[in-house]
Amino acid sequence: MKPAKAVHYLPAFIFCGFIFVFMILWIVLPKEDYSAKEKRMLADIPELNAQTIFSGEFQKKLDDYLSDHIPARDFFVGLNADYELVSGRNGSNGIYLGSDDYLFSKPTRETDNLANNAQFIKEFSETSQVPVFMTVIPSSGYVNGRRLPAVHEEYYDDRLISEFSEKLGDKVSFVNVTDVMFREGATKQLYYRTDHHWTSQGAYECYKALGKSMGYEPVAKNKFSVETVTGFYGTSYSKSALWFVSPDKIELWRNTLQPKDSLTVEIKDGSDTKTSNSYFFPEQLKGDDKYPVFLDGNHSVVRITNTNAESGTLVVVKDSYAHTIVPFLSQNYRNIIMLDLRYYKKDVSDVVKAENADQVLILYSLDNLANDPYLSNLF
Amino acid sequence: MFLPITLFLYYITPKRFRNLTLFVVDLVFYSWGEPMLVLLMLTSILINYVSAILIGINREKKALARTIFIISIILNLGLLGFFKYVGFIGETLNFVLPFLNLPVIQVALPIGISFYTFQTMSYTIDVYRNTVKVQKNFITFGTYVSLFPQLIAGPIVRYSDVAAQLVSRKESMEQFTEGVKLFLVGLSKKVLLANEMGALWDAVRESGSQAGALGAWVGIIAYTFQIYFDFSGYSDMAIGLGRMFGFEFIKNFDYPYISKSITEFWRRWHISLGTWFREYVYIPLGGNRKGLGRQIINIAVVWFLTGLWHGASWNFVLWGVYFGIILVIEKAFLLKLLKKAPAVISHLYSLLLIVFGWVLFYFENMSEMGGFIARLFGADGFMMQGDIVPCIISYIPLLLAAALVSTPLFNLIYHKIKSRAVIIVLDNAGSAAALLLCTASLASSAYNPFLYFKF
Repeated sequence: MKPAKAVHYLPAFIFCGFIFVFMILWIVLPKEDYSAKEKRMLADIPELNAQTIFSGEFQKKLDDYLSDHIPARDFFVGLNADYELVSGRNGSNGIYLGSDDYLFSKPTRETDNLANNAQFIKEFSETSQVPVFMTVIPSSGYVNGRRLPAVHEEYYDDRLISEFSEKLGDKVSFVNVTDVMFREGATKQLYYRTDHHWTSQGAYECYKALGKSMGYEPVAKNKFSVETVTGFYGTSYSKSALWFVSPDKIELWRNTLQPKDSLTVEIKDGSDTKTSNSYFFPEQLKGDDKYPVFLDGNHSVVRITNTNAESGTLVVVKDSYAHTIVPFLSQNYRNIIMLDLRYYKKDVSDVVKAENADQVLILYSLDNLANDPYLSNLF
Repeated sequence: MFLPITLFLYYITPKRFRNLTLFVVDLVFYSWGEPMLVLLMLTSILINYVSAILIGINREKKALARTIFIISIILNLGLLGFFKYVGFIGETLNFVLPFLNLPVIQVALPIGISFYTFQTMSYTIDVYRNTVKVQKNFITFGTYVSLFPQLIAGPIVRYSDVAAQLVSRKESMEQFTEGVKLFLVGLSKKVLLANEMGALWDAVRESGSQAGALGAWVGIIAYTFQIYFDFSGYSDMAIGLGRMFGFEFIKNFDYPYISKSITEFWRRWHISLGTWFREYVYIPLGGNRKGLGRQIINIAVVWFLTGLWHGASWNFVLWGVYFGIILVIEKAFLLKLLKKAPAVISHLYSLLLIVFGWVLFYFENMSEMGGFIARLFGADGFMMQGDIVPCIISYIPLLLAAALVSTPLFNLIYHKIKSRAVIIVLDNAGSAAALLLCTASLASSAYNPFLYFKF
């Protein structure tokens, strides 16, 4: 074949080369069972027998298997995200890229869950023997509104949160931190860039704000020493597939005056129990998603005892945002019992009674509050 | 995955057996999605194969040949009717005559049945008319019917168009390359435009009354693009794949949205279906040779059937009749006026009717359709509001791209280029970009981070 001809036929070679190489890679590349970026198990190779073939089940599952194990999957997923971004569809996979490499989840909307949860909490507070406090954490997109891309869905967390609080009745002492977060967020980094969670700084602002209502004196900021961990890629990052976004950093705040042996953290999942003497779990820093460094991520029941604190027992009903603020609260409460209602299915008021608790704090992010149906487990 | 294996098998097979390879591959391809229904397709192939041979043998005995022909047509339409329309007929009868209270049988629609039934019928009808030779080789005939590129979404290839190619075709590098390019064009249309336009249309419908008249029009325009790029994308892929295997199929779409009348639109839209109805329904019914009255009846029949062919629901009939009426009006006088009118007017007229037609085509539920039409005309106010606003704004670049790609503009520019070097660069860069972006998009649709267990 003459070279001129060969060039002319190049698209055919590109095409055939691509599909053949792709197929071979598909077959020979080692298969992962677990995708760290997606944080889920990937499909397994399906079982082959007459029954699964004739029902079409084998074919469907094989398709799932193949698409879960596409060669260079991260590259292609990233390419698609970049293409969507440059062709005008910032946020098409649920995450906005804002200025300063900030990633934002799309705004939370009114849901039936939100109203139902308000009702559950109201009923809980009416039967509770001890004071019930509650706060709802606004989203990063609301607080960092000035960093959002020009075209975005409106965030009205302030309205949703105040409407929610009005449904709670007078027995709940609701502490609205929306304004505080918005104001402080103008100058400080209260949320991670690559994750939907708040930073230690963000949790600290809330800790300060809660003190007035809950009756404790917050520990001053200069009493803490800060350790900074780099290379954090949060869940917004893996969801966005915008791999060029720079890694985040996590700050671990330690009270310099707290004696080492004063702290016990006891984590219970069903019958498993493990204990530690730190709020932070460095083994969680090995992966991309380092947020579980705070109190080891989600567990059914976590009991934190700080003998350095004078007194007080607090029950915290919470989502994962609490993992950052509870180390601060622990400075002022001798005992904190943290309950995650997604895993803890028993009566919360029984715990309050058994622990002889002084207060209950219900702490949720707006998004989880609107989408989490588990608050029905309160009592 | 499927394609490289097929290409490999096909080209290592000696010429003589290439049809057999194709046939086997086709059956595997079909059984992938529909393991049992492949038997139905084989039955259909067998019916037409046998009846054509019988018609051939009994050509002299006119009455017998005619009977066989009629039985074959009844069987063909019977299969199509049963699998596609039985639920629809049951529901309609129950609606008209509620006291019957018929049990409505729900049958899963076998993929491609509308296409392959029309293909086999084109063959049997042509054999009966003695315009094509009887195909005695079962493999060859089976290959024709089940040819995988066009099995699922057309084009409807008439047997007479490919009879010679089935027996002897010459694959060439030239044709293969053209096939690859066309395939990639089709794939890009489907993946990069149709799917995205579909996502926008879904978003508009879900936003409900927030869309307002403006949003509703953007939505239905997005659907207009979706259906065109989806359908013509599949056709391009089919024709492209056909070329890779040495087949030459007729063009199925010819920039339908640049039409200046509905008559022209239907010459440019789904050409293979229009041709089929013209050849096998309209002309046998007498076409335009038996006076205006008869012609109008013929048009009505054709458009009723065209509508029904697209789906077993009354909205498709409504859609067909809608175009039938417009075509009659155009024939009567409007076409002459449109020719004289400025191009802007005739384009606007055509596009408006086409876009509105897709409303009828989309909504199977009449009350939803009514609600949407009301919205188009301002029942929910003019402006859109809420979350649909940023959504629509973010799709503006793609909407513009879709509009440009539905015109022959890029094709014209491409053919104006004299420099061979530029063409080569464009071809290769285009092919590589199309491959990468389409793979990226397809890979992403399977990328669904599970983010809710680590909150």
